[in-house]
Amino acid sequence: MKGLLVVVWKEMLHLRGDKTGLRLMFLVPVVQLFVLGYALTTEVKNTPVAVVDYCACEQSRSLAHTVLSHPLFRSQGFVESEKQMRRLMDRGEVRVGLVIPPDFSMRLEASWRAINSGKSRPDRGAPVRVIIDGQDGNSSQVAGGYLQAILRQWSGQRLEEQIAGTGRNVRQMVPVEVDEAFLFNPLLKSSWYMVPGIAVLLVTMVTALLTGLSIVREKEAGTLEQLMVTPIRPWQVVLGKTGPYMLIGFFELSAILLLAGLWFGIPMRGSVFLLFFFAFIYMFSSLGIGILVSTLARTQVQALFMIWFFLLFFILLSGFFVPIQNLPGWVQNLTLVNPVRYFMAALRDILLKGSDFSSLYGHATSMLLLGAGLFGAAFLTFKRKVE
Amino acid sequence: MKSFSPRRVVAMARKEFRHILRDGQTLAIILVLPVFMMFLYGYALNLDPSEIAVIVEDAEGSRESRFVISAIDASDMFAVVGTRNAAAHPEALFRGQDVRAVFRIPAGFTHSLRSAGSPARVQVLIDGADPNLATLIRNAAAPLVRGASLEILGISPPSLIAPLSVILYNPEQKSSLYFVPGLMAVILLLISALLTSVTLVREKESGTLEQLFITPLHPFEILTGKMLPYILLAAVDGVLVMAVGYAAFDLRVKGSLLFLSFASLIYIFAGLSLGLLISTVAKRQQHAMMLALGATLMPSVILSGFIFPIAGMPAFLQALSHIIPATWFLEIVRGVVLKGTGLAELGLQVLALSVEGFLLLGLALLKFRSKL
Repeated sequence: MKGLLVVVWKEMLHLRGDKTGLRLMFLVPVVQLFVLGYALTTEVKNTPVAVVDYCACEQSRSLAHTVLSHPLFRSQGFVESEKQMRRLMDRGEVRVGLVIPPDFSMRLEASWRAINSGKSRPDRGAPVRVIIDGQDGNSSQVAGGYLQAILRQWSGQRLEEQIAGTGRNVRQMVPVEVDEAFLFNPLLKSSWYMVPGIAVLLVTMVTALLTGLSIVREKEAGTLEQLMVTPIRPWQVVLGKTGPYMLIGFFELSAILLLAGLWFGIPMRGSVFLLFFFAFIYMFSSLGIGILVSTLARTQVQALFMIWFFLLFFILLSGFFVPIQNLPGWVQNLTLVNPVRYFMAALRDILLKGSDFSSLYGHATSMLLLGAGLFGAAFLTFKRKVE
Repeated sequence: MKSFSPRRVVAMARKEFRHILRDGQTLAIILVLPVFMMFLYGYALNLDPSEIAVIVEDAEGSRESRFVISAIDASDMFAVVGTRNAAAHPEALFRGQDVRAVFRIPAGFTHSLRSAGSPARVQVLIDGADPNLATLIRNAAAPLVRGASLEILGISPPSLIAPLSVILYNPEQKSSLYFVPGLMAVILLLISALLTSVTLVREKESGTLEQLFITPLHPFEILTGKMLPYILLAAVDGVLVMAVGYAAFDLRVKGSLLFLSFASLIYIFAGLSLGLLISTVAKRQQHAMMLALGATLMPSVILSGFIFPIAGMPAFLQALSHIIPATWFLEIVRGVVLKGTGLAELGLQVLALSVEGFLLLGLALLKFRSKL
């Protein structure tokens, strides 16, 4: 036990001596939290939109203005021809376009007459064309959906006005209504989803990267060998070197959660205690990765690269911004051994949904198993290497 | 001052090449990492949802309500993983599970649907935690339920307008076609900025850079000689990305390959200048890597529009994103590959990249000179 405390004390002295490193350790995550908290947004807004209005009639103007003035879009105004529109789309200045054909008002009139005559399968309506820049499948799908909804709304409003003119009930025409309600994040703020994810990344970075580097640094300097010839046991070295970083990890997590609540306004609906419990069992995995890498890498640069490589892989497949259900089946199976995945889900669920242990024990079990496996493997490799 | 000699530059370049070929780690970064990243991003970065797990609360249990449920299940977007009678606390359904939405069909659904009174109401509770997914669910849910209900009645929805969607550039909406060309921007920068800065600092650390400076070689011959192999390697990686994209992801370049190569060279030049600048600032390899990864690569992945749309960011980050060379190059590479555009449309981007390259080079040379 004394040996363990000596190593912890030694590591603390190292940390205190490295003032620049210490400052970076706390400054970098805070800066990253702010930049990433705002940058990692999948919100589709300010999409540049333009309209080609070949009809130039009263109805087409009304439709065009509804689209152009919509707050979800950024208006690029009217464009003379489809060819011109295509040029603007090629240059990326317009991403969604609406083309209103010359016979728009005529067809509108015709479809109204068909509806009014009470046919059960009336004319499909006056055709308009929606042109979408489909490069980015996700954004274009969302932006296209917005435009479709705006068109539907405009059509519904016109219809209602015209039906009201005939004295009939509009409800007979549209016998079903769909109400949507968003739970947990009613304003659909990206930061509410991303900031807890960023907290996971930063905790991982601190624990995996710093531990790995600190061990490799001693290896490079030859002081690790010196440590091994003292009566201090390998397990004392491992625990003594990881302990302080675990503490730093907890400290950073608390700071990030505080900022998340105070600055980003993210609610804390679950138990803080449960959250820290999850962080604790998660750190065995991330510290294990750090130690494993330190046994493989000969230099700090190598260690840095390996950890970066590991993290790239783990983070991309953690559900951080790509839902795991979207991944191909075999990749989904791969994520079952990804500790980041479980901590990511648990942290978000505790913060946003107020989940308690009974709904998260599956995650806890997986994390415990992975943590025990990774940390155990790391320790055994470390012991074999030094002996 | 000695005159600039191509022969000495080539000698320097050959020395550097030997270093690279001997170092397994560098070779792995150059050859294995790009291919690995392509497969990872090409397959894993799929933001199009399909078969989202949903639960249906069917308070009616009639033929009609079951018809609506089967329509939801049959769509590509949703998969019904459970049906249940009305529950008191629907929030609990979302905790610790993959369920993203609950469709609630009320009792008396069919009656309201068929009668002339108030319309039938179907409620959709959506897990808003992931706002992107929530938006996609909302966009899909209402038309689906409405369509199924109207089909029960055997009528078409009365609509005054019939929008017809045309999707340009990537009609099948494949995520890989968007992310794989984008990877060019990341990988070329990795090679040009990261590797050069690390190797330069390594020579600085071991003192061999000073030894080189007392040889008859002119400092600029040393620099050019050291950069040359990395230009070549970056070019090899560019070809590698395109070739793997062609073979594995059906990527077809719509525009001019010549223009793309030309723009890539300008981008590599900007990356090298950045690497050079980092190497003049960093004293140790570790610092060089931190700087290169933290200050250039991270923002290039996050702020350049590679994954996250720039238009969704706040104004100050949008401004920042336009300082990053990768932002400009991404517009070029996606324009050429997906849209088939050329210099006429992308002149501004090419100009911006060139100006940035020269600015970075000028800064690096200034710093470099003062260090000598």
